[in-house]
Amino acid sequence: MSLFVGLTIAGLATGAIYAIAASGLVVTYTTSGVFNFAHGSLGMLMAFLYWQLRVADHWAGPFALGAVLLVAAPIVGAGLQLLLVRWIDINDTGVMLVTTLALLVLGMGVAYAIWPADTARALGPFFGPTSFVTVLGQRISYEQLLCIGLAIAVAIGLRLFLFSTRLGITMRAVVDDRPLVALNGWRTTRLNALSWAIGVSMGALAAILQATLFDDLSVLNLTFLIINSFAAAMLGRLRNLPLTFVGAIVLGLAASYVTGYVHTTNGPLSELETVLPTLFLIIVLLVLPSVRLRVGAPPARRTPRIASARVSAVQSVGVVAAVLIALPFLHGTNLGAVNEGLAIAILGLAVVLLSGYGGQLNLAMYTFLGLGAFLFMKLSPGGGLGGLVLVTLIGAGVGIVFALPALRLRGLELALSTLALSELVWYVLFNQSSVMENTITIHRLRIPFISLQGPRANLIFMAVVFSVLAFGVGAIRRSSFGRLLAASKDSPAASATIGMNLNLTKIGVTALATALATFAGALFGSTQQQVTATDFYFYLGLFIVLTVYIWGVHSPMGALAGGLSLSVFPLVAPHLPSWISLDLLVGFGALGMVINPNGTLDAISSRARAFWESRPARQPAAPAAPAREEARLLGLPAD
Amino acid sequence: MAFLQTDAISMRFGGIDALDAVSISAEPGLVTGLIGPNGAGKTTLFNIITGLHPPTAGRVLLDGRDVTGMSVYRRARLGIGRTFQRLEIFGSLSVRDNIRVTLEVRRRWSRQRIDINQETGAILERVGLAELAKVPADTLPTGLARLVELGRALATRPRLLLLDEPGSGLDATETEAFGNLLADLANDGLAVLLVEHDMDLVMKACSQLSVLDYGELIASGTPEEIRANPRVQDAYLGSEDMVEDTVADSSTPPGLAGAGAGVGGLP
Repeated sequence: MSLFVGLTIAGLATGAIYAIAASGLVVTYTTSGVFNFAHGSLGMLMAFLYWQLRVADHWAGPFALGAVLLVAAPIVGAGLQLLLVRWIDINDTGVMLVTTLALLVLGMGVAYAIWPADTARALGPFFGPTSFVTVLGQRISYEQLLCIGLAIAVAIGLRLFLFSTRLGITMRAVVDDRPLVALNGWRTTRLNALSWAIGVSMGALAAILQATLFDDLSVLNLTFLIINSFAAAMLGRLRNLPLTFVGAIVLGLAASYVTGYVHTTNGPLSELETVLPTLFLIIVLLVLPSVRLRVGAPPARRTPRIASARVSAVQSVGVVAAVLIALPFLHGTNLGAVNEGLAIAILGLAVVLLSGYGGQLNLAMYTFLGLGAFLFMKLSPGGGLGGLVLVTLIGAGVGIVFALPALRLRGLELALSTLALSELVWYVLFNQSSVMENTITIHRLRIPFISLQGPRANLIFMAVVFSVLAFGVGAIRRSSFGRLLAASKDSPAASATIGMNLNLTKIGVTALATALATFAGALFGSTQQQVTATDFYFYLGLFIVLTVYIWGVHSPMGALAGGLSLSVFPLVAPHLPSWISLDLLVGFGALGMVINPNGTLDAISSRARAFWESRPARQPAAPAAPAREEARLLGLPAD
Repeated sequence: MAFLQTDAISMRFGGIDALDAVSISAEPGLVTGLIGPNGAGKTTLFNIITGLHPPTAGRVLLDGRDVTGMSVYRRARLGIGRTFQRLEIFGSLSVRDNIRVTLEVRRRWSRQRIDINQETGAILERVGLAELAKVPADTLPTGLARLVELGRALATRPRLLLLDEPGSGLDATETEAFGNLLADLANDGLAVLLVEHDMDLVMKACSQLSVLDYGELIASGTPEEIRANPRVQDAYLGSEDMVEDTVADSSTPPGLAGAGAGVGGLP
């Protein structure tokens, strides 16, 4: 009995932290319409700032806490809203998600730059070891009571603020009808800035409590508190604070009971506590009713034009030619990096197909890459082609299973559920000793008549495969199915009213894209020949998506540039200042989506086209003799 | 017999009655107008008929069949085509591909043999967009984009056509041509339900009118009956004093002036 009481109190304290974090997420979303993927990341930064003030600079606890929660966090939240978020078109789900994902990654980059990961840091408890009360023989620390008390205070305070004060009600109204609120004399930007200030402060409070209660000041763990928060918030469909609170408490209790009662140190069940929020999320997503199709809110931006078959063919041939020209100059690690980059570029093609053409954001792409590598090792131990085909087909099936919980819902739910599922797969599958916890060896692909054993032969092969697939992906977009994808992306509501089954279209493109991603994984494994679970760490899925978006998610060439960027960076990194990380560059680069939602390649080609068209017009050629004669007869000057 | 029948449709958003037991119908071969001031619930009713919103109460009957719980795409396959008040074109596709993709969708589910190129060309000719076939749809001005939506709706080969303010953005000549097109469509046997603020167009094109005000159906009848209906006059222009003021005031905003002039013949 006393164990149960202890676990319940611990679960309530954990749930209280989730509740504070999730409430912040809900406040930001309901009042600004932007789902803040960076909620955990910003909270993490604030927790590190608190560590800096409290531990490194020896500030008194209350002062450090006040400075972070009441000054730094609100400034960061309001500043982000004013400088960045206000420019996001909330009707453009892709840009909205990618921008806040970029903030998430950028936050991690900033943390690594200021507080390098090679130094251990810890936040001591707020209270001493003797600060506890005893209930039914169980010690309940003041720390735990503080968490629970703060969560109750936050719940009551937010409810009163948002529903009983004029300011709170107006903040909620901004999302429903921004122009109307503005017509009533409110400055909507300031209202949104306030909501972001509150949201980031709550994220900061949750992160500090988490870091203190569990003695865990970790960039990754605090950043991905977003998954736990999201799982709780989804119970209230990101809008209902009481249900969000219930979801958080249920999650906290479940995590605590699992820790107390499930005694497994090995095997998938040992990670049950870690993946519990994901399981909770999947159950919630499955029981949620379908969302209504939105009408009257198309994104404002112009979509880039799709390359013609001729241009695609020229691009594909150009890629192979470029590789052949570069081949003599590539050696050792450079050669390996370009080989790897082409495998990742094929993965990028899956992002182009799914996100660029289909408008679906799947954050589990690295999971499919890992799955492809692992299955290729298992199904094709000698590197035969048959295994490659089988792996690709399995990838399509698994992709559908991954997407099913959220297919009926919106892009936001799909993005978050795939991120959560990729975390689940990494912990319960990839990171198991029977799978890829340790390095596995994969045989190089064998194809008839050609040996791919050498890295140069493999590179030429990869370039050809990429080029063929790039042309194929472009051909899909130009096909009847591609027009379905474009229509369903441009206007889901109109697509349904012309008789299109949107779910079937989504399933089709998901299956194609995940098949391609898994195929890329098999080639990645074949190219690298030795891989381990860390090569497919779940949050790497964010990087391939963001990098392809940076270059241009509507073009296979964006996939090429994205893949090569990721593989070449480790070669460049030693020559850069140590504070520059991939997180920082990718996060910062992807923020450019707000200014240039169609990506860098489109911006370059648009400017080049504008320059070309702005050249002085050439003098018209002299009229041909008959025209001159005609002009003379009409009494007009001949030139 | 009416192809569309709404049976006491009600819709509540929060505490507000957007529609209150509205029953209307649309018959094949006729253009039926659905008019009312802004916020009367016209677009909400369209969204309910097409399945984009589930009603709080009431039924939607299509050819006598209750389709209230049916998904949007299934209703479309039963013969409902529509355009939108706020444009919902496929902006990344060309004008031609907007029509083409619709025909391709229809070919998939109907399993009919459809000559896509021939039918696309015919529809573009009919809505007057043949010259602009290759133009990206997101570069078109509003009036022409509305014609793309109309062409797309026609490509579903509908039996009921819901047109939500199709005349906005069209100039006088285009509006006249559009009126003729509506008459042609009705002659083809389509049931057309038209939401429009251009009262000249409504009065010329529609043989039956239903009037909504604050979610309530306040009148139904022929254009003449609607013109003479005091509740309609009141809904559009308030008290009779206001009517006189408004009709006399040349600075009245165009929409209201149009309403006044159309409902007009008003005292």
